[in-house]
Amino acid sequence: MSTAPTIPVDLIAPAFNPATFGIGKREVIDGIFARLRKDYPLAIAEVPGYDPHWIVTKYDDIREISRQDHLFHSADRSKTLASQLAEQLMRSYTGGLPTIFKTLVHMDDPEHAEHRAVTQPHFYPQAVAKLEPQIRETARRYIDAFLAKGQGADFATELAFRYPAEVVLTLIGVPKEDHAKMLDLTHWLFTYADPDLCRPGANITDPQEIIKTWDIVYSEFKNYYESMIRDRQQCPVNDLTSVIANGKIGGCPMNERNMISYLVIASTAGHDTTSATTAMGMWTLAENPEIFRKVKDNPSLIPGFVEETIRWTSPVQQFVRSATEDYVLRGQQIRKGDLLYLSYISGNRDEEAFPDPFRFDPERSPNRHVGFGYGPHICLGQHLARLEMKILWEELLPRLASVQMAAPGKFAESEFVCGPKYVPINYTLA
Amino acid sequence: MNTQPWRKYQCVLCGEIYDEELGVPEFDIAPGTRWEDVRDDWLCMACGAPKSEYVLLED
Repeated sequence: MSTAPTIPVDLIAPAFNPATFGIGKREVIDGIFARLRKDYPLAIAEVPGYDPHWIVTKYDDIREISRQDHLFHSADRSKTLASQLAEQLMRSYTGGLPTIFKTLVHMDDPEHAEHRAVTQPHFYPQAVAKLEPQIRETARRYIDAFLAKGQGADFATELAFRYPAEVVLTLIGVPKEDHAKMLDLTHWLFTYADPDLCRPGANITDPQEIIKTWDIVYSEFKNYYESMIRDRQQCPVNDLTSVIANGKIGGCPMNERNMISYLVIASTAGHDTTSATTAMGMWTLAENPEIFRKVKDNPSLIPGFVEETIRWTSPVQQFVRSATEDYVLRGQQIRKGDLLYLSYISGNRDEEAFPDPFRFDPERSPNRHVGFGYGPHICLGQHLARLEMKILWEELLPRLASVQMAAPGKFAESEFVCGPKYVPINYTLA
Repeated sequence: MNTQPWRKYQCVLCGEIYDEELGVPEFDIAPGTRWEDVRDDWLCMACGAPKSEYVLLED
């Protein structure tokens, strides 16, 4: 590794700090990764307190790694950027395991394929298409409620956070009265260091805070879902909890940790990423009246607009893989055991993959971004997410004549999953 | 000339659908390209799975 290129610490260290992601609309982060793509497209970050990580900035490299799960594992180390202290703490909390959770994200084959198969058919396009009427009714209801709040209302917290949450939590079988709690737990999980979204009482200056909070989140979800799981095992109904509770792995029920983790990822990632993308979509429309006009006047552009908002937002900003054997990538020697930080926000701004990548273009084609990842771990809920957002814009845009930001928006502070947390808008009705 | 109905094939890993009637013009696969005429090294556009991971989508 001593001959591998190393990124100057002062260049890469800010990208290891959640606060950097909350500056503006991530222009500092964009600047860091633009510099890396140019001068250090595949190089090692040696940031104090962290094991060395290859920083993978290029679209093609991210896809090459992601397509080869057997070479680049998800289960052996932390799946997200974690300090050495955090990794030690995770092993301490779990009795030696590398991660608090054992979601699909944290699995390798055959375990990953076996668990994904339990719910995969329910997320195929033809399955989610059947949900359109109820999703559309939900969208209309949230739009009505948002517009009733009048000028200056926060699109992020009043609509973008809540609408996708209700859609997926209803599918899971979570009663409406518990959705607010699920939303809080989601924010504690993904935006553990954001001063507005973190767990109350959390010490966000403590580098170990993420693990403490994740352990609490796991316990909260376990306590919440235990009785529902037992109930669904005895009496299945038409919801995802029933599917997961009765899912078989090799003919046997899932173990408890895997089952709870499955529900955790469905209950959190199942909406938070869509929320981020929806909020960013409105922020973009509010600041770009020509884009608003183009998409409003041409509803056939909505699917392309949705796809571009996913590329633009890249709410899952990074995942980490560990190499299972030596591998040569972009002329660099990756060694067995090396950690690789895949930057999806960088991949989605790669100048060699996307012409004029810092221009938002609802007609961009092709637009095969990595916002949903790539390879066998590609987002399970991608088709549901697309449908939700397509429906929302189909219902909302005809009701607006114009939209503008009422005050500066704010981005959440997270190096993992995040998007806008405050998008206040003024508008005129159609 | 093949007059059979257009078929759809689905990637089992991610659900992406290949529709023979539509093709994938953005990647130079013309509308009307039958699945057997799609090159053997075709990868799923969404997840990169090989052609072998696709199944015929029944109505």
